[in-house]
Amino acid sequence: MYYGSGREYYGEGERLELAVRLVNVSTTYEGERRPAIEDVNLSVERGELVTIIGPNGAGKTTLLETINGLLPSEGLVEVLGLDVRRHGRELRRRIGYVPQDFMVEPGTPFLAKDVVAMGRVGVVGPLRPLRKEDWDIIWAVMEALGIADLADRPVGKLSGGQQQKVMIARALAKEPELLLLDEPFSSLDARARETVCDIIEGLREERGVTALVVTHDLSAIPEGCERLVLLNGGRITADGPPEEVFASEAFLKAYGPVRRVAP
Amino acid sequence: MIILPSALLLRAVLGGVLAGALCSLVGVFAVRLRMSSIGFCMSHAAFAGAALGTLLALDPLLTAIAAAIATAALLGPISDKARLPADVIAGILFPITMALAFIFLMLLPGPVVGLKALSLLWGSILTVSPLDVALLAILLALSASFTVLFWKELNAVLFDPKMAEADGINARAYINAILFLLGAVVALSLKLVGGLLVYALVMNSASTALQLSYDMKKIFLLSPLIGISAFLGGFGLSLWFDLPVGSSIVIASSLMFAFSVAFSPKRKRR
Repeated sequence: MYYGSGREYYGEGERLELAVRLVNVSTTYEGERRPAIEDVNLSVERGELVTIIGPNGAGKTTLLETINGLLPSEGLVEVLGLDVRRHGRELRRRIGYVPQDFMVEPGTPFLAKDVVAMGRVGVVGPLRPLRKEDWDIIWAVMEALGIADLADRPVGKLSGGQQQKVMIARALAKEPELLLLDEPFSSLDARARETVCDIIEGLREERGVTALVVTHDLSAIPEGCERLVLLNGGRITADGPPEEVFASEAFLKAYGPVRRVAP
Repeated sequence: MIILPSALLLRAVLGGVLAGALCSLVGVFAVRLRMSSIGFCMSHAAFAGAALGTLLALDPLLTAIAAAIATAALLGPISDKARLPADVIAGILFPITMALAFIFLMLLPGPVVGLKALSLLWGSILTVSPLDVALLAILLALSASFTVLFWKELNAVLFDPKMAEADGINARAYINAILFLLGAVVALSLKLVGGLLVYALVMNSASTALQLSYDMKKIFLLSPLIGISAFLGGFGLSLWFDLPVGSSIVIASSLMFAFSVAFSPKRKRR
């Protein structure tokens, strides 16, 4: 099994189907001289669960937004077999994205169920209203996340954790092939984290969904994660099974001598 | 109290009801997307257009409409190019349009000619023609169809444009369409309530509706009803007390907003 370089994505004689392939990717924000991520090479197989860790400012969010095609970048960014630069919008309809710390004002005039339903909008396309089968999916993800009883509540009136579940439900309502979750557990309690991890596991097993989970919190690494990618200073400095990454020099350099809290 | 001939009164009421519904409908987009300075900028661009039209001996209403729509059409692409919010670009364009308006007014041969352009700042509902009413009805039908046909996309954009983009929706295209619609609405409503006051009709009714519900469907239905009520209330006030129509409409809509804030169900503790 190979981890790390976008150039060598063949394993044991046969080509692996890749969900994400980055080759020499750099992303620089407007007005900045230094790239937020630099020369990143990464290959993620379909159905894989990868956790991206790194200290604050390491470039984790930039990496997700580069994969999602929301930020212009240099190098090759291939997602689900397509070039993000040419097929960005089409791909984003197949990618479930949960942004970091997404909170809305208390007076925001949208009900929780309507926000979750927005996940279906790109999939369904214009001029076709949401049908019963769309609402069945919307209700199913809300039930799975335990927020069906909040459906008619204004989203701005929900707690931080409940709003985070609404955003996760919105990403799942799309029935995505790839999930990009940016600090999805930051406002969730232990039980809710477990529920989300179980849902991700279920999606991987049943539909081969790929998941990239970003976290700065080492205690929030999802159970079942077999691969960690460590970002530091905008570069991937370690990539492999969790125990190998934790034992690496790069990890010590990024986090210092910290003790990892078990999930 | 002023007594008007019935045909004139009917046309004025019809025009006002249409303008009230139209401004309030697109007002929900403007308020939710925080385009407050955009409406202001467009109404002043229309005034500059009217001044230019008068200077060039053209119909000032036509040049006003052209200027407002041109501003609306330019705002989106300029903000895209500069990568700045449309609101910021509107804030910069606003003094430019005012400066141009004053230059054109200064170049006019006499004070009487200038008054023709100035009348577009205050509006004159009693001069509304059957063509104006027809144009307002067409624009209302277009705006309502746009809102209904692209409801789910617009809803997502109004919630958060960046998240809509992350869901594969072309949020920028929808925002540009809204800007264009806003320009057309402001320009066509100018003759009725005037460039300075049309903005209040756009913002006040939508802001009032937003005080009353958390459900966007209800807000989009309530806002035009509030706009129509504000017009009828203001028009009645102006006839009864012999006050300027535009100013009376603004006072009526502002009072409705004040009541909605005071008695908003959103502010009650449950």
